[in-house]
Amino acid sequence: MLPDTTGSWTPVALSADLPAGTVMPAWTPAGSNALWRSDSGRTAASADRCPHRGMRLSHGFVRGEALSCIYHGWSYARAGNCLRIPAHPGLAPPETIRVATQRVEESDGLIWVAVGEPAAAPPRLEGLVPLRSLTAHASVAALETAAGATAGPEGIVWKVQASQTIRLLLAAQEDDQTLIHVLLRDNSSPAQRIAASRAAETLRRAAEALQAKGIAP
Amino acid sequence: MKLYDYILSPSCYKVRLMAALTCVKLDIRPVDFHPGAEHRGPELMALNPAGSIPILEDADLILTESSAMLVYLAARAAPEWLGSGAAEETARVQQWLSFSNRLTASLGGARLHEMLLRPGDITALQAQGIAALRELEAGLVEQGLRGMRFLASDRPTVADIACFPYVALAPDGGVSLAPYPAIRLWSRALRSLENFIEMPGIHRLHELKPDPHIEPDGA
Repeated sequence: MLPDTTGSWTPVALSADLPAGTVMPAWTPAGSNALWRSDSGRTAASADRCPHRGMRLSHGFVRGEALSCIYHGWSYARAGNCLRIPAHPGLAPPETIRVATQRVEESDGLIWVAVGEPAAAPPRLEGLVPLRSLTAHASVAALETAAGATAGPEGIVWKVQASQTIRLLLAAQEDDQTLIHVLLRDNSSPAQRIAASRAAETLRRAAEALQAKGIAP
Repeated sequence: MKLYDYILSPSCYKVRLMAALTCVKLDIRPVDFHPGAEHRGPELMALNPAGSIPILEDADLILTESSAMLVYLAARAAPEWLGSGAAEETARVQQWLSFSNRLTASLGGARLHEMLLRPGDITALQAQGIAALRELEAGLVEQGLRGMRFLASDRPTVADIACFPYVALAPDGGVSLAPYPAIRLWSRALRSLENFIEMPGIHRLHELKPDPHIEPDGA
């Protein structure tokens, strides 16, 4: 989403879903990433493949400021360079051993990963708070049809009830799936938040029904 | 207390895990589930005519349902794992204990199909597994909005232990856990508990232990 001449930003996760010292998988059109946050709170997106034996680094673990592979413990810095090879404790890993990395930005409680080299920062979502992320087995078009709205640069504004609208950021995934980030006004009550979560599930069901029937474009 | 056990069974692991977390010592009796099908032999059928494992035997008491075993261990050794007794919390514990049977049927069925070539409609089993994971994810999201990290409470209960193993092993049945951030955090919270034990396919959090390879100061 948000294409410009040189690149775009994909919203991959809520900040709250990636605490310090954890790693999770995150897909963008540029490929699969191990999205991780160091113990000091810094985020990074590393290609989700250890250069040693090809294991997914998102199965790995974070210790201090490094991401380690679950298979043989090779560990990598946020910049992608290999820091340590446990089987060769005396070896300083050569610069040639590294994982590709993508730029990561975090704002308004969302984590964005760059596809290419976007010139501008990700869009701001002031006054909104992220609620949850969920994945639909439906295309962006099916979700737009189900919501009766078209996604703009800042997502879909979806009217749940007369009194409540929620914002949906949509990120196309592999296999015609779509990652949905649900946001709502930051003054929403706990009951409104639970209602919005349930409404998002209903929207997903509707979009998946459209997709299954082949109604959506 | 004797547990008829199979190391690769998530249902047996529930009982081993609950016992470890509540510091109960089990007398483990390994069962040749595969390929020997010992659970269908005369000795075990005499204990459990349903021909399933685990079986927990404690003097005159013979339990064949893993949820009942979790409740028994908790009631004996650590009643806080049963919940506070408040009406809503008690109901949530029961809700997720019953729900755990659907995880066994769907994710467990897909896992048996993929690992032990058990006949079944793998597409349907996986679809049912995804539906169950979505319910669990939604439940955990709502608990989070209520300020609680676990299924029935802000502390773990038998309900969490009943649901955890088949969820954690979903990838064995070809069902990805990538789409479920709340389940990821919940799984992490459970694996962080003191006295947590592993089973093949469910490992501890390596980062909770110090790096074993750190060079001594000045090296």
